[in-house]
Amino acid sequence: MGNKQTIFTPEQLDAYQDCTFFTRKEILRLFYRYRDLAPQLVPLDYSDKPDVMLPYELISSMPELKDNPFRQRIAEVFSEDGEGNMTLDDFLDMFSVLSEMAPRDLKAYYAFKIYDFNNDDYICKSDLEKTVNKLTRHELTPEEVSLVCEKVIEEADLDNDGKLSLEDFQHMILRAPDFLR
Amino acid sequence: MSYHYNEAFENPDYHNSETLESGRRKASQMNSMFRQNPYDSSPYDSYTDHDGREQRQSYSVDIPMATMQPGLEVSQSAKRWGTPNANPYGNTHINHSFEYEPEFTYTPPSTLSTVDGPFARRSSDASEEEKIIRNLASMTTRERIKAIQKMPKTMKEKREIRNKVLMEKTRKSVSYSTEIHCCTQCMYKIALSYRRFRNGLSELFQSLQLWQKTLKIIGGKFGTSVLSYFVFLTWLLTFNIFSFLVNFSFVTIPQFIAAGSNNLSFTGLELLTGAGYFQQTVLYYGFYTNSTITKIENSTSYDMQLAYIFTIGIYFVICFFSLVYSMAKSFRNNFVNPQTYSGNAGKLLCIWDFNITNEKAVRLKQKNLSTQIKEALSEGKSEDLNLSLKQRMVHIAIHLAAWIFSLGTTAVCCTCVYYLSINNLKLFMKGDGTELENQAATLVLPIVVSLLNLLTPFVFSLLELLEKFQYPRNQIYVTITRNVILKMSIIGILCYYWLNIVATSATECWETLVGQDIYRLVVVDFLFCLLGSFFGEFIRRIIGTKCLKNLGVPEFDIARNVLGLIYVQTLTWIGIFFSPLLPAIQIIFFFIIFYVKKVSLMMNCQPPRKVWRASQMTTLFIFLLFFPSFTGVLSVVAITIWRLNPSEKCGPFRGLSSIFDAVSRWIDVLTNYPRSAWVVWIYHNLIESVHFFFILTVIIIIITYLYWQIIEGRKIMVRLLHEQIINEGKDKMFLLEKLRALQASTRDTPARKGASQQFSTTSSLYQPPGQLDQQRHLSMPNYLERPLEKNKSSFSAKPPYTADFPETSGFLPGDPQRQQPSTKPGVSEALALAMRARQQAEREMEDEDEEDFRS
Repeated sequence: MGNKQTIFTPEQLDAYQDCTFFTRKEILRLFYRYRDLAPQLVPLDYSDKPDVMLPYELISSMPELKDNPFRQRIAEVFSEDGEGNMTLDDFLDMFSVLSEMAPRDLKAYYAFKIYDFNNDDYICKSDLEKTVNKLTRHELTPEEVSLVCEKVIEEADLDNDGKLSLEDFQHMILRAPDFLR
Repeated sequence: MSYHYNEAFENPDYHNSETLESGRRKASQMNSMFRQNPYDSSPYDSYTDHDGREQRQSYSVDIPMATMQPGLEVSQSAKRWGTPNANPYGNTHINHSFEYEPEFTYTPPSTLSTVDGPFARRSSDASEEEKIIRNLASMTTRERIKAIQKMPKTMKEKREIRNKVLMEKTRKSVSYSTEIHCCTQCMYKIALSYRRFRNGLSELFQSLQLWQKTLKIIGGKFGTSVLSYFVFLTWLLTFNIFSFLVNFSFVTIPQFIAAGSNNLSFTGLELLTGAGYFQQTVLYYGFYTNSTITKIENSTSYDMQLAYIFTIGIYFVICFFSLVYSMAKSFRNNFVNPQTYSGNAGKLLCIWDFNITNEKAVRLKQKNLSTQIKEALSEGKSEDLNLSLKQRMVHIAIHLAAWIFSLGTTAVCCTCVYYLSINNLKLFMKGDGTELENQAATLVLPIVVSLLNLLTPFVFSLLELLEKFQYPRNQIYVTITRNVILKMSIIGILCYYWLNIVATSATECWETLVGQDIYRLVVVDFLFCLLGSFFGEFIRRIIGTKCLKNLGVPEFDIARNVLGLIYVQTLTWIGIFFSPLLPAIQIIFFFIIFYVKKVSLMMNCQPPRKVWRASQMTTLFIFLLFFPSFTGVLSVVAITIWRLNPSEKCGPFRGLSSIFDAVSRWIDVLTNYPRSAWVVWIYHNLIESVHFFFILTVIIIIITYLYWQIIEGRKIMVRLLHEQIINEGKDKMFLLEKLRALQASTRDTPARKGASQQFSTTSSLYQPPGQLDQQRHLSMPNYLERPLEKNKSSFSAKPPYTADFPETSGFLPGDPQRQQPSTKPGVSEALALAMRARQQAEREMEDEDEEDFRS
């Protein structure tokens, strides 16, 4: 079984396969992607679990993230230290969730975390304002932004607490079939 | 969840409300419709909803993802202060299923001791994890992997869990069967290698998927809306590959064996006209033999007639079911929304297309989004501005005129096609002039049809400018409707011409003639498609960037392109009977179209500016492919098979009065063989019998009616649940206010203080969104009651904990009226509060009823 590669032990590969939505080949491909970001930092032998972490600057330079207005949030949400610096595990995790095999609810969960800028488990108005600004590149006036945010909260907030909980968010996502297709 | 609160389940309301039922397991088996309930927002549950029901039952509610919630860390640290038993809620996450739970001692210390380092903090709640692990260990391998993949945890935690599960599994198997240790190990190895083999297979299949990478690139550059066109194209392509394989293997290959030599010359123009040399090939109906084919003497023979009719019949049946299936699936996923949001929230939080990776596309998208939001805001402001009667009349008049104009254009096109086709037939029958002239004359009809198909949509899009729709979505739907009417009526006229005029004319082999017509239509349409993307996109871009700068780069018109595909696919389906190898030609064309469109898109186009709800549009396209297109084709083929006389001198059905006679003759033959009596019985009692179809129709109507009623009931249910959620939100706000007031007034009483602190910690424990609905509904009063008790006895020594009360209590209180009154001390206060909350909420409800449930 795959004797050509010595980066991971077969057990490690099995574990990765069980924990992500990827096949063996894709995991290896992603590993090379990860390594290409910093060939001098990442060893070619992962069987002894080296403790390597790539800084956020490198991660965000990937073409997949480079132009995404939410790149910093994405990196923060998926990195273990919460600052966007990623281990290989975090890296694989991120791509696994963003891959098309991942179920929508998992994506919704992480999307919620991404939009939750202040990490308080609620999307409140300030989070929404940040989202709007990122989505529109600061082209709206502050009044317009706050109007939009109020409307969104009014619409999606089911329990009237003035902010969106994960339940509210998922409920909304269920009605928006275009979400993350 | 635990059984302490079981008394609440006695209440019939809880049994009626589908989302709140305690036995989710049962519910999932009862009816799969429940899975779609939008209120069932518990993440454990919905994570499992995706990949089918089989995996759902066993672990749906048992994976506490709460371990990774920040909120829980607070609770864990709080928990560590007390003894494990002191916290009455320590176990609440865990046993959601009402299963027997073995005690802690069941798990060996080894698994616990392996945990150290950064993971230790989280594993302070080791009991919880143990239980997940045990649950996971009881699943099959496949289910387990899926469950682990879907956990929203970091890789480290997932791997930890996985390793523990595997250890647990091997340990179990070892302890149960020490004597056959070797055997189990062997089995384990076999299972492992089987799994690796299967993973390898799935990798292989993935690499076989067509154009995966190209589709990714397109999605990244242009977003999902343009991608939907290409996905549709590949879908049609696979459809055609399938039909080609079926036709080729069951009809064409046997014909090759029996075929005679072809002595017609090949000039090259035939590729365009489909006539001449091709007349004597397997491409057309007329070439197929009507005899039975036997290569080896005395072996079973191959009846060409039956092969032809059954292959095509079964192909259509398969097509029918796969279309219905994909249509229903798409409808279920994209349209089953009891109430849709007007779009603001969805627009904001769901609109970002994470597929897009191209910088320009990102800029463009951001810009479009901001204009959209601005428009929506201004729309909201000017909504009150009502149009006067006169203005409204003008609007209606314009719409009416546009409709009359478009229908008139369609009618003119149809008459034009009709007379041209009749003229075409006359020309063909006369047969004077040179061979080349004749062949060129046959091309007039397809060129005119394709021109009409290409140009009239542009006229229709000019109408759009006049009409000025309020909502862009209406405009898209109207345009699509007009185009569909045009294309389908042109095809309808052509079918009328083929079935009523060509079939009754005195031609030698009318089926081949029809096949040739369709071939020409398909080929010319393909050429026009290429020309269209050259002129419509390439030249347009040159003009837009070089000459008229304000025109800009053209957009990729998804609707027009998809409708073109539907039109061609309809032609192909009609043509399958007359020219069995048409799918092969279509495969080649689709391949070329894919690449041409891709290149043209990449070079010339920009992403569409309009809001394009890709998933709903895809549903609409599949529906269009089914309804006018496929059903129309079915009726055409049915008329051909049952009503029309096949030509006398060619084709597999020569000499029969109708094509279906082949089947009845075969049945007559079969009556002589007692072994195949069941076939005869089925034929006489089911296929030929009117009663059977009558009963079948009645049954289907009854079932449809039942389902319709069920859906209506569900709608009411959803509305009630929505009301309930809002009520409970109000309950919560009210309770919070009261508690805050209480807290303020009794701040100096230490016991009270302890109570509210404990309350806040427990509430923070319940804060993680990974909550079950029922948990909220059922256990709330106990929160109130237990901490009070605890605080009296053992919790006075609790360390100071400064959780900010209003922010952290994000739970919803239970529905107090449904709680059975408890006799424990301390309840009465909470209950009274809850009762008051309910009363106030109801009062408010009456006032706000109108606004809240408009939908």
